Amino acid sequence: MRFRSLIAFTFAAALPAASALADVSGKDIYAKTCSVCHATGIASAPRYGHAGDWSPRLAGGSARLYANALKGTAKGMPPKGGNPAYSDAEIKAAVDHMLAAVKDAAKPATPPKPAAKDAEPKAAAPVAAAPAATPAPAAAPVATVATADALPAGDVNAFNRLLKPVGRRNPPPPEDGIHDPGNDGTHALLPPLTAYAGLPKSFAGNRVNWVEAIGTKKINPRWDRADPAAEPVVMDLNIVREVKGSMPDVVYPHKQHTEWLDCSNCHPAIFIPQKGANAISMASILLGEKCGVCHGKVAFPVSECRLCHSKKKDLARPAQTAAGAAK
Amino acid sequence: MKLAGALFAAVIMALVAVPAAAEYADVVLNKRSEKEGVRPVVFPHWFHRIRFQCRVCHHELGFKMRVGANDVTMNEISEGKFCGACHNGDIAWGADRCDLCHSGKPGLPTGIFGGHETGGPGRW
Repeated sequence: MRFRSLIAFTFAAALPAASALADVSGKDIYAKTCSVCHATGIASAPRYGHAGDWSPRLAGGSARLYANALKGTAKGMPPKGGNPAYSDAEIKAAVDHMLAAVKDAAKPATPPKPAAKDAEPKAAAPVAAAPAATPAPAAAPVATVATADALPAGDVNAFNRLLKPVGRRNPPPPEDGIHDPGNDGTHALLPPLTAYAGLPKSFAGNRVNWVEAIGTKKINPRWDRADPAAEPVVMDLNIVREVKGSMPDVVYPHKQHTEWLDCSNCHPAIFIPQKGANAISMASILLGEKCGVCHGKVAFPVSECRLCHSKKKDLARPAQTAAGAAK
Repeated sequence: MKLAGALFAAVIMALVAVPAAAEYADVVLNKRSEKEGVRPVVFPHWFHRIRFQCRVCHHELGFKMRVGANDVTMNEISEGKFCGACHNGDIAWGADRCDLCHSGKPGLPTGIFGGHETGGPGRW
């Protein structure tokens, strides 16, 4: 909320009232028609709010832009955005609306035209607040600028916790961002990489394949707190869950789970031990329900699709045999 | 405007920077710690799973598999419950080594770090 009102203020300060009023229909046309391509840059259309996309096109002057919008270009811009019902003035208003967004991004504090002086600012405020109510286009330029400052250059995947660059994987406790380096005890703690030496690797999580580590006896975690010799009660039963579409079916192995867990960890609170009684979706897993109680937090995350979706369907086979028979 | 922009950048930075490079499944416990004047506790799953299977803590010791669902006090630990079942100076270091467990950065929220969950507005 606070952020939106902030954007609204930016617009109120930046837009001259007169052009803001004319902008209403331009904005509507943009939202209805132009945004189909210009919001995301389909067919390399200059994107709304991206000053870098517009500056080479603005070099030819805004008259050139109006002409291109009205008559279309060979690159893919259809005449009048593909809707001949719009008048020339309406198309120009839509172009102005898109240009206003990149002018704001370039210099948010200064009004683009000094003509704003004789316009009453009170009228401008509600109209200018309207674009802020639809956060996507208005928020885009500000947000990209801010994150670009916050992230180190070249680290384009930094937003993704599952794609950690090599330098940020398994750091020692004083450098991991959650331990306090000013605490003496932090420096006495074991660095994860020391413990992982010799353990089989994986592509996600701790980047250790824990299932293989326990299966090949690289580690031998106790099943019982006090008794190191106690053997786990392992249950070897695969449950196949058929899934929609062409995604391979899920094979759930009890074996690998009972090597770590007790039956009561999952049954009956998370999974009712009865066929067909559990509705599971990827959405619920991402929300931390069902498999997501562990997978995505402590067990391998959902980026490793094929570790669960491992049983291929023979979808293509009937078609292929039919084709073979025809030959 | 500039100030507001800087504030916004700071918020974004905080959202991006906090979980930084925490090890997958590191848990921060800060329900009581800072109110009691000590650093938050960092519990590393990776260290414990090399030595104990999940069931030992999540079944025998009664830790619920939900961050924030476990109310653990130092009294209970001294009585041998929860962490105290092992952190008794016998199986692992005892409750007198405050700084080994209470080693988190001040101000960290209770939560599980290093996973796929975001801390920002896109939180699932």
